[in-house]
Amino acid sequence: MTDLDYKKLGFKCGLEIHQQLETHKLFCNCPSIVHDSNPNIKIKRKLRAVAGETGKVDAAAAYEIKKDLKNVYEACSSSSCLIELDEEPPKEVNKDALDIVLQVALLLNAKPVDEIRVMRKTVVDGSNVSGFQRTMLVATDGFIETSKGKVIVDSICLEEESAKKVEKKDDYVKFRLDRLGVPLIEIATDASIKDPEHCKEVASLLGMILRSTNHVKRGIGTIRQDVNVSIKGHPRVEIKGFQDLKSIPKIILYETKREISEIKSKKKTASHVRKADPDFTTSYLRPMPGAARMYPETDVPPIPLEKELLLKIKLPELITEKVMKLEKRYNLSSQLAQELVHNEDFEKYVKTFKISPELIAKSLIEVPKEISKRFNLTTEKINNSSYEEVFKAVENKTINESAILEILTDVAKGNKIDLKKFKKVSTSGIESEIKTMVQANKKLSPNAIMGMVMAKYRGKVDGKKVMEIIKANL
Amino acid sequence: MFNLKKNIIPNTNIKITTKDSRTFEGLVLPDTTSQKVVLKLSSGYNIGILNKNIQETKSLKNQVSKKNKLPKLKTNKKLPTISILHTGGTIASKVDYETGAVLSQFSPEDIISMFPEIKGLANIDSKLVRNMWSSNMNFNHFNILAKAVEKEVKKGVDGIIVTLGTDALTYASAALSFILEGISIPVIFTASQRSSDRGSSDAFLNLYCAVKFAKEANFAGVAICMHGSSNDDYCNVLPACKTKKLHSSRRNTFQPVNTAPIAKVTTENIEFFPETHHKKRNDSKLKLKLLNPKLKLGILRFHPHFQSSMLEPIKKFDGLIIEGTGLGNGPVECVDEFTKENEKTIKTITALTKKMPVTMTTQCVFGRVNMNVYSYGRKILDSGVWGNHTDMLPETAFVKLAWLLSNYNKKEIKELYHKNLRGEISERTLYND
Ligand SMILES: [Zn+2]
Repeated sequence: MTDLDYKKLGFKCGLEIHQQLETHKLFCNCPSIVHDSNPNIKIKRKLRAVAGETGKVDAAAAYEIKKDLKNVYEACSSSSCLIELDEEPPKEVNKDALDIVLQVALLLNAKPVDEIRVMRKTVVDGSNVSGFQRTMLVATDGFIETSKGKVIVDSICLEEESAKKVEKKDDYVKFRLDRLGVPLIEIATDASIKDPEHCKEVASLLGMILRSTNHVKRGIGTIRQDVNVSIKGHPRVEIKGFQDLKSIPKIILYETKREISEIKSKKKTASHVRKADPDFTTSYLRPMPGAARMYPETDVPPIPLEKELLLKIKLPELITEKVMKLEKRYNLSSQLAQELVHNEDFEKYVKTFKISPELIAKSLIEVPKEISKRFNLTTEKINNSSYEEVFKAVENKTINESAILEILTDVAKGNKIDLKKFKKVSTSGIESEIKTMVQANKKLSPNAIMGMVMAKYRGKVDGKKVMEIIKANL
Repeated sequence: MFNLKKNIIPNTNIKITTKDSRTFEGLVLPDTTSQKVVLKLSSGYNIGILNKNIQETKSLKNQVSKKNKLPKLKTNKKLPTISILHTGGTIASKVDYETGAVLSQFSPEDIISMFPEIKGLANIDSKLVRNMWSSNMNFNHFNILAKAVEKEVKKGVDGIIVTLGTDALTYASAALSFILEGISIPVIFTASQRSSDRGSSDAFLNLYCAVKFAKEANFAGVAICMHGSSNDDYCNVLPACKTKKLHSSRRNTFQPVNTAPIAKVTTENIEFFPETHHKKRNDSKLKLKLLNPKLKLGILRFHPHFQSSMLEPIKKFDGLIIEGTGLGNGPVECVDEFTKENEKTIKTITALTKKMPVTMTTQCVFGRVNMNVYSYGRKILDSGVWGNHTDMLPETAFVKLAWLLSNYNKKEIKELYHKNLRGEISERTLYND
């Protein structure tokens, strides 16, 4: 990535992130469940371009009501009500969603506006039944610290997710309404991102901050990144549809190179939107849309953000901070701490059992991985009570630490825990047996003798001590 | 008017620096108050900024946008002429995308610019009669509306559209249907449940179908044209006196009660329902029989735990419509130690019927009044309450009684109240799903 001098190129790059929130919908009490079950509601609507938007009479441009293009909307009563169908006015803004957005805003060092005014952003493609998307500006003027300096977060908005297009035919477009109205946070940075790697860093930082709230949706399609890229002499290009963060640097690099060659070939290009393709190149999607037409959503009263309200916002601990704390407090490797950060049981076990936190951490993170790798087993049968039983036994010293892997492998195989099988054998009790083994196999290395002892006493004896005895008798 | 820093003037551009050193540039909107500035930012978003948080303001140069003047409409002699009489905002509201304000537009040119699809249907004339919500209207407004209709009829137009808020639309449509005696052309009420500033508005299809019906249907009288379903596929033309707003928000809120729709209208064609009888276009002369705005009438609902004192103020009224339970019943019998109040209720009702018409309707919405079936119904009937065997909506009964009191003598009133004059009473209750 170092083959281009981004500063010299006049590289400008900004990021816009859309993330679905894990709450009920934004303007009604429908749950935010995106699903594929059979729809029991089907309506047909014609969405008309509202004449007068352009300020001139243009009968030809206005949608002809006789034209047969229809929007077909399918919905399930379990996830859509009259509000999604544009048959009932919206309720007030979902307070939980607003709370999450304010948390994120404060984590991004942004300042909330004094009063939120909900807007209607005109959408003509049918993906909003009403013909507009409800959106509101919540906070401005934030920033994040990155390895390459501050990046300004211009705006943080709360808006409703659109309906999903599922079919397009000559005379109709079909949408599903389950996704419509799911709360969406939109975070937009300024164009100060310095290079492709930096863009990935910013995106992953923002993603980490969003996940720190513990109230964002996870999984494919629940977060979307749009990147705006331009170099001197080339108009702004927006790239949509990144599959993952890893692809960001390469795609931006290729796009920058494409812009360089466009300039060289003296082709005239206008600002437009491109789609990120799996081979890291991009392809033309559509011209850059004009400025969004917005007008007030008069059905929803303005929301004053008083100081008292903002003081009540509880800020979550950032995932990065949590990881550092875990690392320090329990003396864990940073890799282990990172994987532990979403584990709700770790600290509970540390409190309950007087055994080493590192052992608990490894048992929770590494042991299941080892089991699935070594024995090609799934580990869903290992539950809280299996851990509790095992940790208790370690605490009471009835089993050895090394028995944990063996016992949990048994659990993964679907067997009941049989502690007797792994009952600790005191090393002094088998000392003479080890001596005999060493003498009989003088030609073998200590490790090979160790293997022989462990084949018989795996999980029952303390390996370290066994090794000491072998070495002492060699 | 505002206790504000000098340059915070609605509809001007401004740069505001806040005490937390943020800067905002945008258009000052008219919702600005003495506490806060409402600003439309260049991003399109509106926000409120508290005055106490403002550090500094600076006026910016206003970009004056050119407002295109609409070209004058030309009359096409081959097309019929339709007059649109407006009484309020929703159906003719248009967004000013600069300020975000929703404006009401009423000139024929405005209407055509908003609904270009009706241009090919007819020559459109358009007038603002009154700009108000339908629920704020009273008999005076119904009279004004009737006179406006008369004026258009005298001009010789082929049909008239009346636009109105949906809330009290059926009161107005019933009133006009009584007032406009001998109307020889269609007078079609239409409205919208989703305002016309949005692409999904029902206004487009409603107005299109109303104009189509008004110009080409062989129909004379007052009717309502609104969405027939949640889809944008057809409108129903509904009887002015037998239609109720049955849903607070859905597009197909208006449903016929105890009857079928008159016709189904699509952008392609008009289909009359065979069950309903309607007058055809004719040469009869329009005669206005206006409402007396001084009349005091009330609608009152019977319900469990009814207090007879609710009837006291009615004593000064000119007439009362009761929404009875079921077939036209109510709490009028004393049956145990807890029901003495009912005795008072029937006494007061009896006293009222001696002074004024008191009529019975049913709160069931659907079905007919029959006070002969139960003892308490018979008691009400014996007290002198009218309306037995009628199937009028309370709204229609209210308007009809007022109209009768305005135009007829005592003896005529009782007879005419029980007689079907405008399709408000059906002779037979038909089975409808
Ligand atoms: Zn809903």
